[in-house]
Amino acid sequence: MMKMDRRVLRFTVFLISICFVATLAVSGCAVKLVSGYDEVTNRAITDLQQKTEAHLATLESVEGLPECVYENHKQFYDQSRMDINAIAVRAAAIPKNSIITKEITLLSGNLDDLEKLHKIACLSKDQITLVRSHFDTSYTAILKQLELAKRGGA
Amino acid sequence: MNLDAISLGKDILVALNGSLIEKWPDVKEYGETEAKKLAQTLVMIGTLKATGKINKEQAELHLEMQKNATRMVLMTIEGLGVLAAEGAINSALNAVKDTVNKEIGFALL
Repeated sequence: MMKMDRRVLRFTVFLISICFVATLAVSGCAVKLVSGYDEVTNRAITDLQQKTEAHLATLESVEGLPECVYENHKQFYDQSRMDINAIAVRAAAIPKNSIITKEITLLSGNLDDLEKLHKIACLSKDQITLVRSHFDTSYTAILKQLELAKRGGA
Repeated sequence: MNLDAISLGKDILVALNGSLIEKWPDVKEYGETEAKKLAQTLVMIGTLKATGKINKEQAELHLEMQKNATRMVLMTIEGLGVLAAEGAINSALNAVKDTVNKEIGFALL
């Protein structure tokens, strides 16, 4: 009798386990170790990348001209600072998002450094080439990180 | 100025390999790309400084921007933590520190 009870109990546990796994599979539940994909952050980063590239293209077109001075381009730096702050606040609010958050801080540092360079003097084509390379690498890294989050099943 | 991007790139690559040894099989491709980029940036900064097109402060700002970009790549692709990424960059720059500083004429690295 006792043996029978144990077998029933084991079978019941087995059935419950099967139901649990099936429920997880049907509902798409998974253990998340990385942050979820955030479409808004992705769009905001892409938008800022386009603004940065447009700014660098503008600087190239006015190289050597009086129009190249910092004061004529201050609006880009003010606007990009607001954009990056908004992205940073959003990223910080998403759980398990420390890599993206840290990368946005580094990107913000690069925008500050570009502003400092521009305040010192107009940028030459050689300097713009260097700066473009830094930003291409930076934006690609962030967008790849977001892509990883997307593949992670957000 | 006699900075050679290929030679610097090799030294940086060896240093990156040494500091990321456990992850190296997975990160080799990116490590090579980043080593090359870092070396090219150092040569370009050195050339611009040597020809008087940029000053010390501008050179340092360009280096910092490149370092930030490399930090981001290491964090994303290699999944490294901040400290590991920092350690890898420092090892890479230490490997070429004497050569670059001597050629540039001041302590850039």
